[in-house]
Amino acid sequence: MRCGDFKENYIKDEEIFPSRFVKFWLALFFIFLIIFPFIANAYMLYITNMIGFAVIGAIGLNLLTGFTGQISLGHAAFIGVGAYTSAILITRYGVSFWLSIPLAGLVSALAGLVIGIPSLRVKGLYLCIATLAAQFIFGFIFVHWESMTKGITGIHIPPPMIGSFKFDTEKNFYWITLVFVVLGVGYARNLVRSKMGRAFVAIRDRDLAAEIMGINLFRYKLTAFAISSFYAGVSGALWVSFLKVVIPEHFPFMLCIQYLAMVIVGGLGSVIGSIFGAIFMTLVPELLNVLSDVVRSYTPGMGKLIIPFKQVVFGFLIVSFLIFEPRGLAELWNRIKKFFTLWPFSY
Amino acid sequence: MKKTGLFVLGFILFLGPFSIAMAQQPTICAIHPFTGRFAFAGIEGSVAMQDVVDMANEAGGINGKKIQYYWADGEYKDDVAIAAFKRLYAQHTPQIMFGQSTGMTKALGPEIKDRYKVLYSAYTMTSEAANPKENPYLFIAAPTYTEQVGVLLKYIAKEKPGANVAFFYSDTEFGREPILAGREMCKKLGLNLVAEEVSQVGGVDISTQVLDMKAKKVGYCIFHGYVSNPIAAVIKQSKDYGLNAKFMGTFWSTELQLLKELGPLADEYVGVSAYSFYYMEENPMIKKIRDWTKKKYPKVEYRSQSYMEVFITTHLFVESFKRADKMKGGITGDNLVKALQSIKNFDVGGLMPPVTIKNNSIPVGRVYRGNSKTMRFDPISDWIRLD
Repeated sequence: MRCGDFKENYIKDEEIFPSRFVKFWLALFFIFLIIFPFIANAYMLYITNMIGFAVIGAIGLNLLTGFTGQISLGHAAFIGVGAYTSAILITRYGVSFWLSIPLAGLVSALAGLVIGIPSLRVKGLYLCIATLAAQFIFGFIFVHWESMTKGITGIHIPPPMIGSFKFDTEKNFYWITLVFVVLGVGYARNLVRSKMGRAFVAIRDRDLAAEIMGINLFRYKLTAFAISSFYAGVSGALWVSFLKVVIPEHFPFMLCIQYLAMVIVGGLGSVIGSIFGAIFMTLVPELLNVLSDVVRSYTPGMGKLIIPFKQVVFGFLIVSFLIFEPRGLAELWNRIKKFFTLWPFSY
Repeated sequence: MKKTGLFVLGFILFLGPFSIAMAQQPTICAIHPFTGRFAFAGIEGSVAMQDVVDMANEAGGINGKKIQYYWADGEYKDDVAIAAFKRLYAQHTPQIMFGQSTGMTKALGPEIKDRYKVLYSAYTMTSEAANPKENPYLFIAAPTYTEQVGVLLKYIAKEKPGANVAFFYSDTEFGREPILAGREMCKKLGLNLVAEEVSQVGGVDISTQVLDMKAKKVGYCIFHGYVSNPIAAVIKQSKDYGLNAKFMGTFWSTELQLLKELGPLADEYVGVSAYSFYYMEENPMIKKIRDWTKKKYPKVEYRSQSYMEVFITTHLFVESFKRADKMKGGITGDNLVKALQSIKNFDVGGLMPPVTIKNNSIPVGRVYRGNSKTMRFDPISDWIRLD
């Protein structure tokens, strides 16, 4: 019996679909994703769409923070830039939704390039503070550039359309989200095994050594910021088109923390970690909500105690993951895979 | 094996509620901010809604049909609240929904109009919810924030024409809502808007803003977008710095908790509200609420203005149910809107003056002044109609 997964060259080692088993399970997963909207209700599809937007945003942040080692606290601002760009292009200039998405990504990428400039001089906590400025600057712009953003009133966005078909329900929008998630994951997965991806990792591990090896820090750090912001912009544009409204309060500072938590809990420097992190941070609070509703229905009058307790449980789950698996859910997944790869001789 | 069992249990609990087919009955679903920084209102509001539903069901329900009431915690976060809205709608298909905030109301407004078609109100007094042309299913059982600021500005213009006024508001959507209209109103009323101070919600350093108001010789300062902090701090520091201004606030900051924080300075504060207070026993509805509270919650000594807001809103929901049930087609969102809009001079036992719905709101308010001896708000105006 063949046991284990042996690679004989680097090309094999870098394959996205390394074995028939992976291809089989992925195919099965895709079939499930296609069947899912036909068996799920509006609420489940709403959550799935939200997970999709979070996956795109989290991959963007992971490319910057997890792969390139540049900590950013401005991710919510870049999501906001994309969201407002798309909303303004659609409602003010009559640009189609389909064109507004890449344009939103590009404008966000441009914003990311500008905000990323300090990364050439500062790193670590100092860079954190520099990127935090983006959060406040763009937050101010969203509120006060009223002629363009409509300030606190926000912008109502019509649903995307193809011909007369409207993507105005959770089910219809699911297909758009799915396509963008597949594109986003696919591109990131390819990027990290390319020359650029390896340059990112080299910068993260030791930027001085990377520079000596001939990696252009200026170019690659800014590219990482631009790509990360592009993802954020696309995520924001999709999110607000799904909600059909954009207001400044959609992009609070806490959103940055939430995205950082996604990539840390999921696994820094891992594409699949971003997916797991986004699912965890979006789905677990909802599961806890559902569970607390169920418990509350069996214990009338205890709502005051049970409802706040779910947040304690969520906090406890995050801390537990960080204690027991500091490398995140991605590492947990790797261990499960290894167990089955070596089965029945797993150790 | 144990882990698999837990996973299966979790999955069943997650999916379970969706498979329960509910018989169609008058149903209200609410998203209360039970946790988060608006929890003070959410906890009281959830009790108020339950109380009105229980009172109505004890009195025979809607022409014999019991009202169903379900709620969830929205954590005062828009994404959580929207998810809860969709979850509750998928589970119970209510005809009436109650939301937790201005942000949530704005986000869901278009979908409620085009898709859900449920009668909707929320812990908000945003103008967007009082616009039947744009949002026919949304309503508020109070005047809008803009109208509340209007009441205070009219009061100032009457007391001291041409006074120097300052707006002190939180850096939130809730805080900024009436400011644009307030600026226009100042011009119309001949008041000098000399300062606009913005701060974060909560315990923040506000000495810069206080000094700025002193430099601009502010005579009247209107707070909006806060509950208590930093109002008490601003008033206390103003006294320390020698700023001799009068301080006023809108609905959410017209609460006894603020007077307790102000202590001897409580007399300095004036607020606007659309409702009577829990201690105004002379009103039959307040008496009814007090008796009910005494019976059901013997340890509770006071019910806040948040309670009153949700109480009156739910009371109007129940009345709309009754009227819609008699219409052709029965209880539907469209019939509920028609029923609500047909409410005229509806007696609510002095909780507020007889209710007439206009533009999906109740544009009526009253000015109250704090009393440092009784630690209560005393009315200093009659009910002011704003239409």
